[in-house]
Amino acid sequence: MKEELFVSGRNIPNIDPYLHLWHWEIPLYLFLGGLSAGILFFAGYFYVMRKERDMSATIKLAPLFVPFFLVIGLGALFLDLHHKLYFWQLYTTIRFESPMSWGAWTLMAVTPLSILWAFSYLRDVFPNLKWPYAWLDKLEEILKKYRKAMAWVLMMLSIILGVYTGILLSAFNARPLWNTSILGPLFLVSGFSTGLAFTILLSKSKYERKVLTRIDLIFIFTELFFIIHMLMGLQAGTQVSLEAAGLFLGGEFTVTFWVFVVILGLAFPATLEVLELRGYHVPGWIPSALILIGGLVFRFVILEAGQITRYLY
Amino acid sequence: MSEHKNNGSTKYLNPYFGGVLLGLVLIATFFITGRGPGASGAVKSLVVETVDVVAPSHAESNGYFSRFLADGKSPLNSWLVFESMGIFFGGLLSGVIFGRIKKFRVEHNPNITSKTRLIAALVGGMFFGIGTQFGRGCTSGAAMSGTAVFSFGGFLVMVGIFATGYALAWFFRKLWL
Repeated sequence: MKEELFVSGRNIPNIDPYLHLWHWEIPLYLFLGGLSAGILFFAGYFYVMRKERDMSATIKLAPLFVPFFLVIGLGALFLDLHHKLYFWQLYTTIRFESPMSWGAWTLMAVTPLSILWAFSYLRDVFPNLKWPYAWLDKLEEILKKYRKAMAWVLMMLSIILGVYTGILLSAFNARPLWNTSILGPLFLVSGFSTGLAFTILLSKSKYERKVLTRIDLIFIFTELFFIIHMLMGLQAGTQVSLEAAGLFLGGEFTVTFWVFVVILGLAFPATLEVLELRGYHVPGWIPSALILIGGLVFRFVILEAGQITRYLY
Repeated sequence: MSEHKNNGSTKYLNPYFGGVLLGLVLIATFFITGRGPGASGAVKSLVVETVDVVAPSHAESNGYFSRFLADGKSPLNSWLVFESMGIFFGGLLSGVIFGRIKKFRVEHNPNITSKTRLIAALVGGMFFGIGTQFGRGCTSGAAMSGTAVFSFGGFLVMVGIFATGYALAWFFRKLWL
């Protein structure tokens, strides 16, 4: 009889040696979360700045899409859960040290608030719409009175939502690529930039597009700086961090990251936006579409690459 | 440059100067990548990938397609694909800067319809695509990159493409003039 003896301290499929648990659902959710945060922040900001008339796509039209984005994103997240029927347990506790707890509660507040915000503007966008019940008219009246308060709360919550999409990953201290505190601000600016790009896509006002494009450029340059900062930080780290940075500096994800995220998702649309601001005719949807695609690819790349980074042993 | 921003005029480079620039691109490509540029290879990669996604068993059993799938990597993971993307986005940037980008339109001879133009372009493109596979490359990959390295085949392709073009242009002139 032939005997084979296996001695191993580790037998954790899909976790060891590489994490292989998260698929398309998570990056899609992170993208839609960031996108929603960007749309809501600027809707609130320009409302507070009393730009309701000049920035109607930002304040009225784009936020109508947010509830759908959030529901699709949360649906994707739900699909990813292994024990789907226990998701409600996230709402039985508040844990300040857990990004997931922050996210769950923020979404619990943002999602209904975004629906109420969108509802309060629905008849501005569709003037012929009539509510079938009188209580909906009353609700609309009440919400209109509290728009300013809603705008402030939405702004604050959207910053938390935007940062949370990044710190959800950076809290994983066993994954060197994610375990950097720059990921929170990076995902925030990226989410805001995609939110602006989406709003630019919808806007028909030249003035509004100009204002949003200028802000978007600031966010794109900040994002590029944060990306460089992230790589610099990893390069200055230990061997595991060097290996994580190596995935983008000659490794497996180099082409995807630099071509689709940095060049086509940030630098090229920024160039087109600069040209547009200087009076050149640029088909408006092209830079916006590139930024949105770049933002989505960015989250897929960070998620895929992060899962294969690990500590040496 | 700035006078072309809003006045609707279309500006193109002097073709001879454009040719010199193209030559410099060719040198730069050889210098950076060690080989010359091409274009038909990217389309071929896209076709092979599409066949592989839609009918993987057919792609595997087909002698032509299987050659590009043998190493197990996606055919789209080829530098020609990225080069072609660069051509597209570079062309877009040039169009924006020189004011050639206007409303979406099909440019054609006023005596023919857009439909005729598009069908003619599709048929011509298909002939060219088939030809490139027999000729092992197109005007970029075989003619330009080939002649750059003094390949006899490159010269033949160059002469073949342009001579046939001149010879047949008269018959199809109504599609253009």
